[in-house]
Amino acid sequence: MKNTSLRIRLMMAFIVIFALFGGLSAGVSWFETKEKIDEFFDTYQIALARQLSSVDWADLDDDSQSRTNRLVKNIQNADDEDEALGFAVFTRDGQKVFHDNENGKNFYYGGYIGGFMTQTVEDEQWRIVWIFSADEKYIIAVGQELKYRNDVIWDTLEEFIAPWIGGLLLAMLIMLGIISREFRPLRRLSTDLQNRSASDLSPVTSDGLPAEIEPLVKAFNRHLAQIDSMIRRERGFIANASHELRTPLAGLKIQLEVARMDGIEEAARNEALDNLEQGLARAAHLVEQLLILSRLESSVFQNKLNHEKIDWQILAEPLFYEYQKKMQQKSVRLSSDINAQGPVAEGDMLLCSLLLRNLLDNALKYSPDRADINITVTPEKLTVSNSGISLSPETLSRLSERFFRPAGQAEQGSGLGLSIVRFIADYYGCSLHFSNQNNIFTAEVVKL
Amino acid sequence: MKILLVEDDRLIGNGLQVGLNKSGFSVDWFTDGEEGEEALYQTAYDAVILDLGLPGKDGMSILTAWRQKKRSEPVLILTAIGDVDNRIKGLNNGADDYLAKPFSLGEVAARLNALIRRSGGQSSAQITWRNITYNQNTRQVEQNGKPVTLSPRETALLEQLLLNRNRVLSKEQLEEKLYSWDDDVSSNAIEVHVHHLRKKLGKDIIKTVNKLGYMLED
Repeated sequence: MKNTSLRIRLMMAFIVIFALFGGLSAGVSWFETKEKIDEFFDTYQIALARQLSSVDWADLDDDSQSRTNRLVKNIQNADDEDEALGFAVFTRDGQKVFHDNENGKNFYYGGYIGGFMTQTVEDEQWRIVWIFSADEKYIIAVGQELKYRNDVIWDTLEEFIAPWIGGLLLAMLIMLGIISREFRPLRRLSTDLQNRSASDLSPVTSDGLPAEIEPLVKAFNRHLAQIDSMIRRERGFIANASHELRTPLAGLKIQLEVARMDGIEEAARNEALDNLEQGLARAAHLVEQLLILSRLESSVFQNKLNHEKIDWQILAEPLFYEYQKKMQQKSVRLSSDINAQGPVAEGDMLLCSLLLRNLLDNALKYSPDRADINITVTPEKLTVSNSGISLSPETLSRLSERFFRPAGQAEQGSGLGLSIVRFIADYYGCSLHFSNQNNIFTAEVVKL
Repeated sequence: MKILLVEDDRLIGNGLQVGLNKSGFSVDWFTDGEEGEEALYQTAYDAVILDLGLPGKDGMSILTAWRQKKRSEPVLILTAIGDVDNRIKGLNNGADDYLAKPFSLGEVAARLNALIRRSGGQSSAQITWRNITYNQNTRQVEQNGKPVTLSPRETALLEQLLLNRNRVLSKEQLEEKLYSWDDDVSSNAIEVHVHHLRKKLGKDIIKTVNKLGYMLED
């Protein structure tokens, strides 16, 4: 659909309404005025004709002659020259016997009598009344030029319609001005938005905007705020990530320099190379965890997640197999009691596996040699605990913060594992709790 | 030169310790903030490398605590690139210089040398004594304009003696400057190094002060 300006549409509608209304009123007025004026002039013409009919045209004596002349003079001098009245007197057989020496000179008798008719006299339209004289021997014709009548009608109309039309036009102009003014905040809003830089996500002001537009602006501002917080989150994440990657990179760089040093012993060089290898694995792990976390947060990824039934026994088995070697190296004892149904009954297999993997990885990484690790899954909650660790309440409360690593940590984790666990638990409507009692650290994912 | 290193990252800490050792520094490395802070009160260090992003007690608090207790050892802080706020805060809190991660080993050594020199009121990296010239940056020793090859420990021992001319340095003091606390030091290590230095530079350059230690005398 074509988008036409509401302002222009309203203005056009007003102009059309005003024109129609004004035109109709003018038409009606013209019609009424014409009727009144016709009636008036007709009466005047009849009166004049009656006066003339009383003259004895057969025998015009001095007295009647002068009366007639006066009458003629009166007619000719009446008001203004445009009045254009004329008369003529005919015999019954159509012979003109008398006229006013001017307009009436050209009247001609066409056989019609006893009323008004329109006759073309010297290319002009005349309205002429025909009556018999008092003695019925003569025919009197009194005419008036129609052009003059129309002029009078227009003059009259002009006088009282002009102010009315003027008022109408003024009202229309005021109306258009009001429309224009009322639309100004909207125009300002659109100019504001057009001139905005892409990075400007500050809310749009709704000051002075009509109440009808306010919900729109509010919705728009809400959207802006969402984008803003999303961008802030992303920026914070990138800043954090690059900051966190610098430490492993600094370590790698130093170890590489040590390995390359002149005159370094074979053993020291090998140690530096081992360190490099470990450092690279650690940096790779950090990058991987970062990618997982950023992917988890993207809606595109979330839309692709499966909704399948989760069997926690099937899920846990490959993980146990994968971690078997590491557990043997540390002589860790693993006990598990896994119900097929866990706190997440339906969801994405990969995501749930990621949750369990990170908890298991965490337990294994931060427990001492010969520690006990226990994994329990019930429909209500998933618990992973490991022995031999003591954390302060402050540390416990900050565990799932991004990049947080407890003080004095020998193990080099990414500091993101538990953030990932927290995210997945939240995503599936579960809560994540940490506790540390009798040197046993427990992480619980509880169905809400 | 004895350096205190407080850094929690294993790779950076290990790399700095090994690398700086090879450059003739002896490095005591602490991963824990509080232990690192305490170490400065226990041992005489020529300079400190302090990571600001320490877990537990952070570098900034440690630095502030040291300066409040009037410890004047030059401190080099390690910050992340772009972390201008912390850099400024660190310098305002009494740090003498900073390095942004990732940095190179050579740069750390050069900055440490400059810091130590400045803290001793010495502005040039070159020390000349009699016919011996020693450059602290290149760690090269020349006698009569000809280069003399010394081991890193021998260089460090000569450096200590040159920096403390006309002062007697005890065996213990020298051990402390030359070795870190986790080095295995044999009881006659210093005597062996002195012996080697005398062999390479001439018998009379290092004077033995009976039962007190060694010195270079004008």
